[in-house]
Amino acid sequence: MRQNYERRNAVLIKLTLWALTILVLVPFIWLLREAGPNYVASFRFLFMNQNGIAIAWLKNSLLFTFSSLTISVLSCVVAGFVLAILEVPFRKTMLFITLITMLIPITAMAMPLYVLIDKIHLTDNLFGLIIASSYYPFGAFLSYLYFVSALPGDLVNMGRIDGLGDWGLFWHLGIPLSKALWSIIIFFSFLSLWNSYQLPSILLTDPMHATLPMGLMLLYGNGTAIVGVLMLVPVILLYLLSQRSIERGIFSGAVKG
Amino acid sequence: MIKGRKYRTVPMVMVAPYFALMLFTGFIPLFYAIREVANPSWVNLEGSYSTLFRILKDFRVVPDLRHTFFLLLVFVPVTIISVLALSLLLDATAVRGNTFMRLVFLLPGIVSGGISVVIWMYFLGRHINWNPGNVKWLIAGIAFSSGAGSWVVIQYGSLRSISHEILEAARVDGCNRIQLAMRIKLPLISRYIGYMAILLTAAAIQIYSEPALLTSDGLTSNWWSLNQVAYSYAFQTADFAGGTALSLDMLIPSVIIGIIFVLKTDFLKRDAYQ
Repeated sequence: MRQNYERRNAVLIKLTLWALTILVLVPFIWLLREAGPNYVASFRFLFMNQNGIAIAWLKNSLLFTFSSLTISVLSCVVAGFVLAILEVPFRKTMLFITLITMLIPITAMAMPLYVLIDKIHLTDNLFGLIIASSYYPFGAFLSYLYFVSALPGDLVNMGRIDGLGDWGLFWHLGIPLSKALWSIIIFFSFLSLWNSYQLPSILLTDPMHATLPMGLMLLYGNGTAIVGVLMLVPVILLYLLSQRSIERGIFSGAVKG
Repeated sequence: MIKGRKYRTVPMVMVAPYFALMLFTGFIPLFYAIREVANPSWVNLEGSYSTLFRILKDFRVVPDLRHTFFLLLVFVPVTIISVLALSLLLDATAVRGNTFMRLVFLLPGIVSGGISVVIWMYFLGRHINWNPGNVKWLIAGIAFSSGAGSWVVIQYGSLRSISHEILEAARVDGCNRIQLAMRIKLPLISRYIGYMAILLTAAAIQIYSEPALLTSDGLTSNWWSLNQVAYSYAFQTADFAGGTALSLDMLIPSVIIGIIFVLKTDFLKRDAYQ
């Protein structure tokens, strides 16, 4: 009897999920149709248009996204680990500021950031944008929440007894136990950098220095759908890549229960 | 921390890059912003911190506050409940196509502004006669669809992290799926839920891109949300003091909610997690 219930519920859950999935998917099928049917021609038009300025945008976007991604992900995961497991001065203050800076409206930060970047003469320069975009409090706090629950005190103590230092704890316990975390953070950092619009449009002025989302606005209406597709592809690929380690969860291999 | 114990160098070196970035692009700009408020503004020509209050007398603030409350009462709870329901459903049964589904839920959040407005207008805008009264539902809908998917990925990840032994023990004790979700899974991921609640509240208060996108189609005025008003002060009338003052006013409720969370829960106490 109970098994029948369970089976029926499982079918209901599956039907609900598929119905929702199809509902959300419709607009994107439309987007793909709009960009096509001749994708090669659409892409050629996009890249030939205005002496291939779209290629410059693509290059800028790639350089900016990957540099900033590397800095932000490395710095925030290590910081999350330290704040969760090790002792540093002002630990709680740092966590609190992390939480607060995440909540500040970009309008409040835009001008001061511009002034700061201007002081080091890096406005209208990708490096200025990279520095300004590499602080990733969302990732740091997520890492903190993760390590604080995924690395039990017993495990850390055992590591210490085995002679692991602070860095050793991170290298031999933190990294192997945090594959799901790395995947989630890399994915979301990529997503926010790849799509970021407000900060680049404040810091970069020359159209040749623009990134793809800025380019999208410059093109508005003309080839929007194909740039949309171009922007979606890397995100989907990265999602599929990061997916498998998210699936496996956090505790796989560590202390059970 | 035991008093008198010295801090070691290695952890400090490890946290240093993050600390430097926090200082340079988080803390110092915030400090600048607070100082900026005291400069002369159109609403306060002598320039002082009273701009923080005077800016609230702008005629656009009261209607915008109503919009904000609407979002806080509708968008935030609906998003939290739907995200948790979806993540629990995805976690409850082995569904073929699970990965694909999460990707699809994520899609509306991936497309950047220009495209999403084209899509939304195509699918909804033209078929319904929007009046200024119900456009708020459209805005809440767009905000929901673009934000929910990424939280599903995170909450699904947090649900997957619950150890199999705990779940198995509960099943042996006779928990059905709903009891398992309500009594075991949700309490275990409560910190992630709190984190989501704080960030969604801030997002609702600071909503900008959704109404701004609809402005381009003439559906909303360009001051539907507080953040749009702040933006127009700062970047259209070059009144940075005014814009920053309003932005900081918007920060206050988020900070209060953050502080309540920190004080009332054991968010920052790591012993509580063990």
